Amino acid sequence: MSSIKRWFVTTNHKDVGILYLVTSLFFLIFGGLLALLIRVQLLQPGGTILADAAYNQTVSAHGLLMVFWFLSPLAFGFANYVVPLQIGAKDLAFPRLNALSYWLYLFSGLLLGISFFQGGTFSGGWTMYAPLNVPIYMPSIGATTTVLALLMFTASVTVGGVNFLTTIHRMRAPGLTLRRMPLFTWTILLTVWMMLFAFAALLAALMILSSDRIFGTVYFAATDSGGSVLWAHLFWFFGHPEVYIVFFPALGVMAEIFQTFTGRRIVGRKWFIASMVLVAIQSFMVWMHHMFLTSINLPVKTLFMATTIGISLPFDLMVFALIYTTIKGKIRFKTPFLFAFGALVLFILGGITGVFLGAVVLDYEFRGTYWVVAHFHYVMVGGVTGLVGGIYYWYPKITGKMYDEFLGKVHFALYFVGFNLVYFPMFLAWETPRRVFDYPEAFTPWHQLATVGAFVLGASFLVMFYNLYASLVTGEDAAPDPWRYVTTAEWAVPSPPPLENYPGRPSYDGGALQFLEEAGPRPSGIAAADGGAGTRTDGGVAATADGALAGGHDHEESHASIWPFGLSLAGFFLLVGLSGVNTGGTAYVALTVAGFALGAYTLVGMARESQTFHGPSGPFGESWPFAKVENMKLGMWFFLASDVVLFGAFIGSYVFIRVAFGWGAWEPVPHDPVPGLMNTYILLTSSFAVVMAMVAAQKGSRNGVVASLLVTILLGIGFLGNKGIEWLELFHEGLWLSTNVQTSTFFLTTGLHAAHVIVGLFIALYMLVRAWGGAYLDDDKPVEYFGLYWHFVDIVWLFLFPLFYIL
Amino acid sequence: MLITADGNHHTGEPMNTGVAVQSVVQIGDLIPRGTRMNVFQSIYWVFIALGTLVGVVVVGYMVYNAYRYREGGSHAEDGDDERPTLGEIPTGGGKGRKLFLSFGLSAVVVISLIVWTYGTLLYVESPVAAQESDQEELEIQVVGRQFSWEFVYPNGHSSFELVVPEDTRVRLVVTSDDVFHNFGIPSLRAKTDAIPGQTTETWFIADQPGEYQAHCYELCGAGHSGMNANVVVMQQSAYDEWYANTSGGGGNTSDTSGNASENGTRTTSEALTA
Ligand SMILES: [Cu+2]
Ligand SMILES: [Cu+2]
Repeated sequence: MSSIKRWFVTTNHKDVGILYLVTSLFFLIFGGLLALLIRVQLLQPGGTILADAAYNQTVSAHGLLMVFWFLSPLAFGFANYVVPLQIGAKDLAFPRLNALSYWLYLFSGLLLGISFFQGGTFSGGWTMYAPLNVPIYMPSIGATTTVLALLMFTASVTVGGVNFLTTIHRMRAPGLTLRRMPLFTWTILLTVWMMLFAFAALLAALMILSSDRIFGTVYFAATDSGGSVLWAHLFWFFGHPEVYIVFFPALGVMAEIFQTFTGRRIVGRKWFIASMVLVAIQSFMVWMHHMFLTSINLPVKTLFMATTIGISLPFDLMVFALIYTTIKGKIRFKTPFLFAFGALVLFILGGITGVFLGAVVLDYEFRGTYWVVAHFHYVMVGGVTGLVGGIYYWYPKITGKMYDEFLGKVHFALYFVGFNLVYFPMFLAWETPRRVFDYPEAFTPWHQLATVGAFVLGASFLVMFYNLYASLVTGEDAAPDPWRYVTTAEWAVPSPPPLENYPGRPSYDGGALQFLEEAGPRPSGIAAADGGAGTRTDGGVAATADGALAGGHDHEESHASIWPFGLSLAGFFLLVGLSGVNTGGTAYVALTVAGFALGAYTLVGMARESQTFHGPSGPFGESWPFAKVENMKLGMWFFLASDVVLFGAFIGSYVFIRVAFGWGAWEPVPHDPVPGLMNTYILLTSSFAVVMAMVAAQKGSRNGVVASLLVTILLGIGFLGNKGIEWLELFHEGLWLSTNVQTSTFFLTTGLHAAHVIVGLFIALYMLVRAWGGAYLDDDKPVEYFGLYWHFVDIVWLFLFPLFYIL
Repeated sequence: MLITADGNHHTGEPMNTGVAVQSVVQIGDLIPRGTRMNVFQSIYWVFIALGTLVGVVVVGYMVYNAYRYREGGSHAEDGDDERPTLGEIPTGGGKGRKLFLSFGLSAVVVISLIVWTYGTLLYVESPVAAQESDQEELEIQVVGRQFSWEFVYPNGHSSFELVVPEDTRVRLVVTSDDVFHNFGIPSLRAKTDAIPGQTTETWFIADQPGEYQAHCYELCGAGHSGMNANVVVMQQSAYDEWYANTSGGGGNTSDTSGNASENGTRTTSEALTA
């Protein structure tokens, strides 16, 4: 395989990790240049480098790029590379889905790039407050593209989240129970749990917003029915967990680096983990602290003040745990440690200034000012600092080369000075309103200092890029463990690790990491891995897919798949098309159609490939609490869990709007509940038909499977036909998506459900074709998984029917 | 005789109750009240002082330890008997006692700070009830729209400049005509969201005559950076004179429709000072 082609078809977790890392650094440059533009504009009050609208676009794109396209993906570069190694897995549970999440991520970023050239990108800030975000106030096509880019990014995160959850829960080496998991893996596990739910809420918000922008629904423009506040609730329900989603991986990196370079095990490990679990759960209960100045009442404010203070306390414990870990250490001030240590200092400052915001009376005055800007940059870029430490920490592992220590230290010095120079003056000039480039004269020196700092901070990264690039060529070869006092498994294999990761089956059953031969245990030990067993050091970065199989254990015949790339490309075309499809432009319509067609083609291609492409198969060592569930089924469960939150957010939005409108004054949109009632029966019957298909498959009856699936499909089509007639009648009465807020919620929510039915029908149709050819008779699992999905869609309808037809 | 927060008089109560009541009164005295500038100043500086102290102590301690246990230093061998090894099952090190002590201490500091400010929050949320005095209050409607602020007085007068008397509690009832804004007068420490379709409230007392600036604190579109308004604080007599000259049309009717710009004349600051 040629080396270029390899990167397009790879599904290996280490390759995908590298792709993530490199791409995220590209977006760092993109977002960083925008930051420099902002700082130049702020050199003087009322700067003129950027016009009003251009400035707003710059701050918005800077925020979106840094939070979404840089921070999390950088962390997930490490997660991809390191987590499977740490837990003793050969790869992620679903390697092709992993590639898919990468390509969706890359193309979503390109989509954001394109938005600048479609009449200007989104200009309402990264919080995208309503109703500024709807077309009346922000008509540019580029703004729609930005929303769609985020939508695509969210899809990437959901796919990735399901994959990591399944992997970490199911595929740990024997003896590596959850309690024994390395801290970095722990932080990623909690991060993906938060992602699964938080991003589902964001997905709902973005779907509604896209629909408002493209189909003309009136959710967020319906300001008399709370539309404006609805956005704030949806966004911050996602937005606060998002803070921890980007910070937790950094915390994990810091914990690993602290332990390694102090030569100490973390103090109070159990409590450190417990604190993180607590924070992860509680992160969904603090969102209204971003809304203290809206019309929420005092009891609610009090509640959210309390939960906010509550969530800050576990962080105190984590900080102290890291600090006490240095005691009795043998501390080596290598670049990774400098960055991790610096990150902790910055995080402490960010935390202290955050307590100010927890006091509601102070929060009132800090709202919308540079205090907030400075505070969250200390926290978020503090997190970046930890992740940069991770870059240096794992660079030798990933590339097999040592970076230049001196240049690393220069980078840290410039970085730390630049960081504090740019963000600390913001505290001193905190009365500057946020996202405003006109400020009192008195603050000019502080803003100028901050601008200088921004350039120092930016320049420090040039040192890093040079160092990382030059060391690839001139760096010394890295030993498997270049640091000493490391504990985790990635250091027990060569740098870079071979394609199949381990020289045997990793196990912790003997009380420490061992590599066992395929047949019978033969403790080869760490020493063997360190020296003698390093035969396949060419695996990771530079190797081609043939560097495998030497160990004699079975290995997947092919890791290559072009479909994740193809599917993402299709999604890219589709969304570019959709962004302007309501303008009727030929190019936009053509792209929409082409995107759909290519998407269908690639999906079928990917599905067909499933018969030959196998991800890692069990049995795995530790799978608590999911030992009895296969990967595929567990992945389905995780996906459906996020789908529950998606529908929950849609239904919640409906209820919120209806309450604001006046519950009793609201008439159901369909005058006649009978078509809905009929559809309820149709769906319930179809669920029964899927169960029949299962039974037939178990009995080995091909005709039974075919007939049951056929009945399911016909019932599904009946459901859609019935719905179509109902919708057509409403349309002729002049009731359509954009008529009013009642019709908007009705058509969009039941439409989302109908889309789920359509997806289900396509899957069923594909299965019908395969069942005709005799599939599923000796393996009925696909029928079972399809059944899970189909039953879920039916259950959702059982909620929607009374809500939209009866009440 | 002691007076509790609810104004009851207590005489001849058992000693311990008296002590408890006394401490209630003292805690009450600790809670900042007054104008919003007073309130903000006293809380802000306590937070700054404590925050700086905690920051210096914690970061100082970190740096001290990092230096003390540096490789090659005299304490670097202290923990050599228990260094981690590659491939070991991750466990915790050290003892948790110190950890919990510092954690408990930090929790006490943070919680008591926030509880302390909560008293002020109650006051800020409902200043009249807290002060038990029927001070006169002026209510003004504020309507934000891209990219200006409009102020509507009880007599229906409307202007793009906020004119208020000194030493009077001014209650602002804020809404928006189009997108989400946020109205704030930084020097008077008044701020609240301007949400389309909803109203929010805030208040302030200006104790110095003079000119101030109001800004928009929520990104609201292209003109956001320049969405400001003048705030003029006058002596009571000057204000009365000015107010008498405003043509309210409907007398005391307060216009809440948010469309008041149609029925009021617009005053500029030149007209005021003339
Ligand atoms: Cu938050
Ligand atoms: Cu504004």
